[in-house]
Amino acid sequence: MSSSLELKEVSIVSCYETRRPCLPLRVNGSWGDLRGTMASPWRSTEATNSEEVNAPLCIELVGYMFGWAFSFISIANCSVDPSELSVDVAVKRPVSPARGPGFLHSLSLSSAFPDDLEVNEYCMKMLHIYGERYVTYANCLVSYARPVKVCQNCYSDFISLKEIYTNISSDQLGPGNVSCHDSLMRSDRLMLLYTLFNKLDEIWISAECTQCLTGDQEALSNETVYFMASLNQSLSCFQQHQSNHSELCKACKASYKRLNELYGRMEKNQTLCIDLEDAMNVTRRLWSINYNCSMPREETVPVIAVSSFMLFLPIIFYLSSFLHSEQKKRKLIHPKRAKSSSSLMNIQDKFS
Amino acid sequence: MANIAKKVSWSGRGEDRGERTPLLNGAEDGKYNRKLSGGGMFHIGRLSTVDLEEEITPEEEIVRSRLKEIPHNEKLLSLKFESLDYDNSENQLFLEEERRMSHMGFRCLEIRRWVICGLIGFFTGLIACVIDIAVEVLAGYKYFLVKQNIEKFTEHGGLSISLILWAVLNSAFVMVGAIAVAFIEPIAGGSGIPQIKCYLNGVKIPRVVRLKTLVVKVFGVICSVAGGLAVGKEGPMIHSGAVVAAGVSQGRSTSLKKDFKMFEYFRRDTEKRDFVSAGAAAGVSAAFGAPVGGVLFSLEEGASFWNQMLTWRIFFASMVSSFTLNFFLSIYNKKPGELSSPGLINFGRFDSDTVKYTLFEIPLFIIIGALGGLLGALFNLLNNWLTIFRIRYVHRPCLQVMEAMLVAAVTATVSFAMIYFSNDCQPLGQDHSEEYPLQLFCADGEYNAMATTFFNTPERSVRSLFHNPPGTYNPVTLGVFTLAYFLLAVWTYGLAVSAGVFIPSLLIGAAWGRLFGILLSVIAPNQSMWADPGKYALMGAAAQLGGIVRMTLSLTVILVEATGNVTYGFPIMLVLMTAKIVGDYFVEGLYDLHIKLQSVPFLHWEAPATSHWLTAREVMSSAVTCFNRVEKVGTIVDVLSNTSTNHNGFPVVTHTTGHDEPGKICGLILRSQLIVLLKHKVFVERASSRLIQRKLQLKDFRDAYPRFPPIQSIHVSQDERECMMDLTEFMNPTPYTVPQETSLPRVFKLFRALGLRHLVVVDNENRVMGLVTRKDLARYHMGKDGLEELHLAQM
Repeated sequence: MSSSLELKEVSIVSCYETRRPCLPLRVNGSWGDLRGTMASPWRSTEATNSEEVNAPLCIELVGYMFGWAFSFISIANCSVDPSELSVDVAVKRPVSPARGPGFLHSLSLSSAFPDDLEVNEYCMKMLHIYGERYVTYANCLVSYARPVKVCQNCYSDFISLKEIYTNISSDQLGPGNVSCHDSLMRSDRLMLLYTLFNKLDEIWISAECTQCLTGDQEALSNETVYFMASLNQSLSCFQQHQSNHSELCKACKASYKRLNELYGRMEKNQTLCIDLEDAMNVTRRLWSINYNCSMPREETVPVIAVSSFMLFLPIIFYLSSFLHSEQKKRKLIHPKRAKSSSSLMNIQDKFS
Repeated sequence: MANIAKKVSWSGRGEDRGERTPLLNGAEDGKYNRKLSGGGMFHIGRLSTVDLEEEITPEEEIVRSRLKEIPHNEKLLSLKFESLDYDNSENQLFLEEERRMSHMGFRCLEIRRWVICGLIGFFTGLIACVIDIAVEVLAGYKYFLVKQNIEKFTEHGGLSISLILWAVLNSAFVMVGAIAVAFIEPIAGGSGIPQIKCYLNGVKIPRVVRLKTLVVKVFGVICSVAGGLAVGKEGPMIHSGAVVAAGVSQGRSTSLKKDFKMFEYFRRDTEKRDFVSAGAAAGVSAAFGAPVGGVLFSLEEGASFWNQMLTWRIFFASMVSSFTLNFFLSIYNKKPGELSSPGLINFGRFDSDTVKYTLFEIPLFIIIGALGGLLGALFNLLNNWLTIFRIRYVHRPCLQVMEAMLVAAVTATVSFAMIYFSNDCQPLGQDHSEEYPLQLFCADGEYNAMATTFFNTPERSVRSLFHNPPGTYNPVTLGVFTLAYFLLAVWTYGLAVSAGVFIPSLLIGAAWGRLFGILLSVIAPNQSMWADPGKYALMGAAAQLGGIVRMTLSLTVILVEATGNVTYGFPIMLVLMTAKIVGDYFVEGLYDLHIKLQSVPFLHWEAPATSHWLTAREVMSSAVTCFNRVEKVGTIVDVLSNTSTNHNGFPVVTHTTGHDEPGKICGLILRSQLIVLLKHKVFVERASSRLIQRKLQLKDFRDAYPRFPPIQSIHVSQDERECMMDLTEFMNPTPYTVPQETSLPRVFKLFRALGLRHLVVVDNENRVMGLVTRKDLARYHMGKDGLEELHLAQM
């Protein structure tokens, strides 16, 4: 088990290494800082990963992204006897120093409750797993918040979190005929598990990550990979010509245009997620603002000419219709009235 | 001389009166200035004989008509407009029919009324839906094409070609619409609200509620909105609803020559009017998603004739129309059964946290209202001048079509130029509220902010002005847009296209209202929380619309309903109130101005002030053409065929001996009734043979309604001319009469409240002295210096 963990550690590092050229937007120095801050969160990921190995349920660990290429490390059919699931894993590898002892403490206290109110041990295990996976996922989200790469990097974490959540929330009876749903999720008004998951689920939904993944949510979709590839192409082109902006505008126009069109197509097909949108936004800003490659306003003169011609037309029209058109006259009629045309005069008289 | 008159007459209103008056009527001018002290009294007998003599000499008539030819102005009453017969003729046929009708029959009538109202709502909603979808599809196609073109040419150069493409597309759409309106049915032009107002007032505007008008109207609206003019489709919906109502309630179409033999009882003006008001309400309801506002609209415009049951039915029609539109739009939007898009215009919902307003904002709202009143008055004034010019010089249909096309082309040009020279770029929103974002010279991922207002249908622009978050628009953009759109809207209203003024007004108001809001938050930066530009945009829109159309109660409710927000009820009311007060100080509402310019004898709520000294004797037309109870057919035919006196109602008197001796009144008969009688040859001499035939029923009168054949089409042989006709059975035996001394306001009130068409003036022995009609009353109005009298004009 420990060897597998080490392998993980290595692979994570290699992930950084391989990804570096793909993110040319970052100034190189800043990566070091990022890594520094990420060192501690990753430690908890180790624990989670080890949990997954021991998980009582069949978990398919989907895969990790290494740079833009991706591969599966699937640890399938890892059914282990529930009894083997040792709590000491949690004890040995506390998620955080503050949480570990408290966790145990409450466990020991719980024996004081009568049997039927006690949270079943199985459920406790479930809760524990939930906690681990939750932390993993939240960590992943934070680590990839800027520039946004959550969809590419955290989908496996999310899926495993979702799985345990559905497991808990389902009404299926576990060993000992207990449903963890009631005991874990609906026993108090806080309904912490539900609320916590709900928030993260909302984030996932508003990020529209599912649109970048394959149908079974197990890998990045082909479109996404293709888009990333062409994005890289553009970015590397940018980097090549960084010295001369006007040259850059010419040289990279083709690849940038292709990228733009691809993005437009994907937007229409709704195969975009936040990662791609963000990447594209940054690229566009680079193109238009940093390198100033927008369209110049060149044809002011013809536009003004045509406009003034158009504006001139109505003047001609009204003048000509005023001069040439026959004015419409109305024929007045003398009403058959007692005082007839002298009515105005009468009004005057009355007033005087 | 004539040249001067020409120039002055359209360039200004203030000064021209003094110069024009002598032109019209040089002889009278002298009299006008001279104050005759002894001329106040007059003798009916003498003058009536004079009148008779005058009619005989045709040369004089010609001379006079040549003299009396004047350019069109707003102080005329046209002879082509007639009154509607809202007063029920309680003749013997009517009484008989009522006797024959069982209790159940009346019940069935009531049920039929409800059914008709339901149908009116349904069809109105359907029409609104058709218009909405057609406009969306056509405009979408146009904008897509132009957008593609612009995108292509932004890169390769040649944007002036896109400009021309846009202008040509606009003109093409508008041309089709304008041709339909100008050549097929001119009455379908404009918003139709003035016409419906007149109809509900009791004026019969020719062809206003025909099927052909409806078709042209709907088609024209689609064309003009898709053609990118500064117009809306809401006003025409009201007209469409009214036409639907008039058609459905009659159960037949004379245009299609199809009679469904349904609803025959309702074939008369009184019943039709009620349904037309229901139709107008349904139209408003469909246009704004405001059922209550619709009911109030028809009450406000035609309120002199309503009762509780009618109101309830009108409300039913409104609701059905709103529901129908909802339902079909939900199917179109592929969410069947979801009924949450209630009107043609959707102002969107104001969120609960942005709707807050505080006490200290009330004065600000009042300022906005005053501003709206001023701008509205300016709008009306400019449009009034333009309309006078149009009536005088641009009256040929081909010129009208050309004008409309030019306006469309210029609208496109102005929009394009604005977009082209605008430097205001905004990032694309997340919710894609911009349907057709134009990038042009903006950075990638951004769009041209000017394009959201111009490169879009006006309704969408209004919505984005209301709801886009603060910072979406740049103040300069808004200012320039307001100015350009204001001028375009002034220019557009009154063209020979069917188009409403609601949306352009709202758009102008929303633009400057938003500008106002932005400036407020600049002035008070630490309190910028309350200065939500969307809120001020709404207030500005209300103020501008109120300043232009001057509707009060119904507009408040319409806006409250359209925004779905009662919280704003009070500020909107304040804003509309201020706008109306300020606007009325300068000039009348747009619809009233247009009614005036069409020379319609429109009766306002009250008789003009300071008119109590005028009595019925002075107001009435005298030397009334009367018939005897039993009248010779020849006389009747002659009177009816006399084109110079196109009378419609004839008092029936007891036998008179001579011309100078007026007879005692015993009834009133209408031209339409006489024509039906002549057509069926109901002569005394034929009474014996008629016994075998069917007796004439009220149904025969209804069948001829509403297009009674002209007298020329009825052939009366020489023998028949000698026959006699007994009018007793058919005349209205109890017409309303007033004594000669009745004051004008009293006569006016009677007329307005009862919806009369003819009011007989009698002396103390019940002898017919004169007849008051709508035109006799409508000609008095308050001018700048006291009471003025309008002239009667042919056609």
